Amino acid sequence: KVKAAATGKFVIEEEDLEEPLWDLKMALLESDVEMSVAEEILDRVEEELVGERRKFTESTGSIVEDALREALLDVISVGQFDFDQRIADADKPLVIIFTGVNGVGKTTSIAKMSRYLAERGYSSVLANGDTYRAGANEQIGEHAAALDRKLISHQQGGDPAAVIYDAVEYAEANDVDVVLGDTAGRLHTNEGLMDQLEKIGRVVGPDMTLFVDEAVAGQDAVRRAEQFDEAVSIDGSILTKADADSNGGAAISVAHVTGKPILFLGVGQGYDHLERFDPEVVVARLLGDDE
Amino acid sequence: MVLDDLGSSLRGTLDKLRGKSRISEEDVEEVVKEIQRSLLQADVDVSLVMELSDNIKQRALEEEPPSGTPARDFVLRIVYEELVDLIGDSTELPLEEQTIMLAGLQGSGKTTSAAKMAWWFSKKGLRPAVIQTDTFRPGAYDQAKQMAERAEVEFYGDPDNDDPVDIARKGLEATEDADVHIVDTAGRHALEDDLIDEIEEIERVVDPDVSLLVLDAAIGQGAKEQAQQFDESVGIGGVVITKLDGTAKGGGALTAVNETDSSIAFLGTGEEVQDIERFEPEGFISRLLGMGDLGSLVERV
Ligand SMILES: Nc1nc2c(ncn2[C@@H]2O[C@H](COP(=O)(O)OP(=O)(O)OP(=O)(O)O)[C@@H](O)[C@H]2O)c(=O)[nH]1
Ligand SMILES: Nc1nc2c(ncn2[C@@H]2O[C@H](COP(=O)(O)OP(=O)(O)OP(=O)(O)O)[C@@H](O)[C@H]2O)c(=O)[nH]1
Ligand SMILES: [Mg+2]
Ligand SMILES: [Mg+2]
Repeated sequence: KVKAAATGKFVIEEEDLEEPLWDLKMALLESDVEMSVAEEILDRVEEELVGERRKFTESTGSIVEDALREALLDVISVGQFDFDQRIADADKPLVIIFTGVNGVGKTTSIAKMSRYLAERGYSSVLANGDTYRAGANEQIGEHAAALDRKLISHQQGGDPAAVIYDAVEYAEANDVDVVLGDTAGRLHTNEGLMDQLEKIGRVVGPDMTLFVDEAVAGQDAVRRAEQFDEAVSIDGSILTKADADSNGGAAISVAHVTGKPILFLGVGQGYDHLERFDPEVVVARLLGDDE
Repeated sequence: MVLDDLGSSLRGTLDKLRGKSRISEEDVEEVVKEIQRSLLQADVDVSLVMELSDNIKQRALEEEPPSGTPARDFVLRIVYEELVDLIGDSTELPLEEQTIMLAGLQGSGKTTSAAKMAWWFSKKGLRPAVIQTDTFRPGAYDQAKQMAERAEVEFYGDPDNDDPVDIARKGLEATEDADVHIVDTAGRHALEDDLIDEIEEIERVVDPDVSLLVLDAAIGQGAKEQAQQFDESVGIGGVVITKLDGTAKGGGALTAVNETDSSIAFLGTGEEVQDIERFEPEGFISRLLGMGDLGSLVERV
């Protein structure tokens, strides 16, 4: 209808962007992208667009959204690597440690990962480095029994590094491919427990350390991801409870501040509820253009 | 607790008003913007933040500051009053016989909070019992039992029974002599219809005096939907915020209180049974805004 105008072009000014950028900022916050991360991403979008020419037929809003999609994909795709290939290439036994704050789903993710590995032909042994929380041994013990895996555990109050060390020896002696090491949940503000985590890292020397957080986490996701990465240098993250959350902004925050890839999503409490993370899907969901 | 830097920009903006006695619209805009930032960074629901900041703006522009009140203190008091208005006082929990049911998302801290609350009631001279109805999570029975032991309170659970409703019924009977019954439930979220039905059934059997929603301080914007759903299903009479020993501000609790028209009952500040506090609005609001000195400032006005 406005074909005649279609050939005309506009230069995008800063003030044209003000409103769409504000709307997008609110949308990102509503999706749990952390504030400073959202601002950084939108600054990038603005920088890219100001002074650009646009056609009359395109609304500024849609141009901004396209630019945002690119920027988000950029952030969320950071460092993606082929997890299966890395497992295949590594010397066995391969040690993977799971860390994160309390109650996010570390232990459940280990059980799921053991199933995931078995489906790809790898055997695994579970090691309960959570020698602290009430019922931790019983919990992972039930998972091990349900999955028919060997569990290495010590008494409550024992040394977590020693448990995982024992599991490595067990794996070596029994030709097990992968050691899945659990750790007690700890808040990043607890210096004593963060020091202990570093010690586990030093003593065990894991091949891979995965940071587990939940997709329902809000603004704080950035801080804990940063602090865990600083303490033990993570290789990637798992976001659980994605089934409870339709937003996914925590993925953006965590990927952005750690510069490490999100590798898996937890999508339920069953052993099959572990999915490879797909950046495109999460970005589509964030921009509300899925389904 | 770690150093608080979130509120520093708000403090900076307010400091600019120091010494002024009249506030311009521009000043108000600037302060309101910073308050929005603080609340959004504390995970308060986005639309609730906008509503709150509109109210604050309107009042700051329309109301006449009491003579001699510096502009800065006046705005601050309005902010404080609006937030207090929303959160209100701590959920009333009379020190008498009662039944409390806990509900919430997976891993939010229900089982730990059940033991903590039992410990708290026992320190008040009552005889509490914890009833564990979680038949789903591996190790749930052992976890609750061990926590109850640490709290030195009575415990009921049955690892061989896989019917939570039946466990709840039998648990209440078996612990008849206790004054305060705290019923723990399995974790679930708003989209799990079967599990929502299940907690409705448990609620019917337990017939609690109050159901508390247990929320992780770090929960994001999803707090709203969870609160709505649990309120609709079992009626939420109060909120417990856990893991406040981290850096999360707990703004989700504000959203939940607003959605359920309830209040905050307890705060969890660690993994041990003693790590529990009754809610107290001033400290919580100071934390939300990242301003440790808020209470004393407001008092001066
Ligand atoms: N809905 C849902 N629940 C999950 C998911 N992953 C874990 N959970 C549940 O979250 C709760 C906590 O999971 P755990 O595996 O015990 O978490 P953790 O990080 O090991 O906890 P701590 O060891 O206490 O720090 C349990 O009820 C799990 O069943 C998921 O992807 N979706
Ligand atoms: N640091 C800290 N950890 C807490 C607090 N409250 C609970 N936790 C920890 O959070 C984790 C989850 O707590 P649970 O009590 O198992 O949570 P839940 O809601 O019963 O979990 P499900 O039954 O699986 O839904 C455990 O590691 C607890 O020790 C708290 O206030 N501070
Ligand atoms: Mg665990
Ligand atoms: Mg529990």
